[in-house]
Amino acid sequence: MDQNAQILSRIGQGDKAALAELYRVLEKPVYRFILSRLNDPFESADLLHDVFIEVWRSASRFEGRSKVQTWIFGIAYRKVIDMHRKRGRMTVTDDIPEVIDDSADTEACLAAGQEAEHVRHCLGTLKEDHRSAISLAFFEDMTYGEIAEVSGVPEGTIKTRIFHAKKLLMRCLEGRVQRGAAA
Amino acid sequence: MTRNEVEALMPFLANDTLADAERAEVEAAVAADPDLQRELAALRVIRETMQAEEEFSPGEMGLARLMRSVDAETNIAANQPRAPRTWVWQIAASVLLAVVVGQAAFQLGGSDPGGFELAGGDAPAFTIAFNADVAETDLRNLLLDANVEIVSGPSALGLYGLAVLEGTSSEEARALLEASPLVQSLEVADEP
Repeated sequence: MDQNAQILSRIGQGDKAALAELYRVLEKPVYRFILSRLNDPFESADLLHDVFIEVWRSASRFEGRSKVQTWIFGIAYRKVIDMHRKRGRMTVTDDIPEVIDDSADTEACLAAGQEAEHVRHCLGTLKEDHRSAISLAFFEDMTYGEIAEVSGVPEGTIKTRIFHAKKLLMRCLEGRVQRGAAA
Repeated sequence: MTRNEVEALMPFLANDTLADAERAEVEAAVAADPDLQRELAALRVIRETMQAEEEFSPGEMGLARLMRSVDAETNIAANQPRAPRTWVWQIAASVLLAVVVGQAAFQLGGSDPGGFELAGGDAPAFTIAFNADVAETDLRNLLLDANVEIVSGPSALGLYGLAVLEGTSSEEARALLEASPLVQSLEVADEP
């Protein structure tokens, strides 16, 4: 049993100190993931709170079929979707994006990829599920299997999302560099 | 593995999470294709840039907020099971009080046969609620000390009507009852 699973087991028995321990371990990555989806620090803080409340309520029902981290990111993922649905901000993404035919200029992507502002901007241009897949892959270094588990979709769907998300991200970065050079 | 499959797995080569067999295939494809090599380099840089971003998370403030919510939730949960116990207690208390009233009627009946009736007879002088953890002995002693009797109740809210017996003024009884730690609330009853 991994360390987080042991902590979660204690939470399931009503141990508040264990909840605080798990919060300190996972608060930053979960918050970062939520923020990457909502782009609003206040909403993200509220949702982070809701995620850990749900962890507190549901810990005793954790069956250990996945890593604790994956389970908690799954809670966060669903709460973000719920919030988007409530506000009518949900976008369907598993259709084929418009501009994915040509390869992006990878040299330009390499240059733009070093600039946090460009990366942040281009991540923001991605649709919800594309951004989520890229965030989990690059912020959290998850496998595609773990991302599929968090997102509740087949692995093939994640590969497709990543494929398109990567193309769109690199195309956006390329455009940032080209526009900068032209300006 | 097709070209598209290789491309789909490139981010997972960049974050170093591919299983051995897939990694070998993708690495072989990358080794043979300069475009894929440049793409891999770009993806690694993007990943590093993302991970280097400092986010100001709620931190300890968020934890304090979480603990407040958990405490509130725990308190609610702890109080909920008490409801049935209170209900049981009210039934038990009403039975015990009926015994007290009956006993008092029996003890005092000889000296004042016309002045004592069971609950429901006299108009109550006070409406009273007792604390949930009051022992029957303490309750009986309080009623005897204050020289009052229960004439109605318990209501759905656990309220009893008390009448003051002869020899004691309402003010004396009220002062004694109000001073008792057994009493949760005491009000002067409305005139009938």
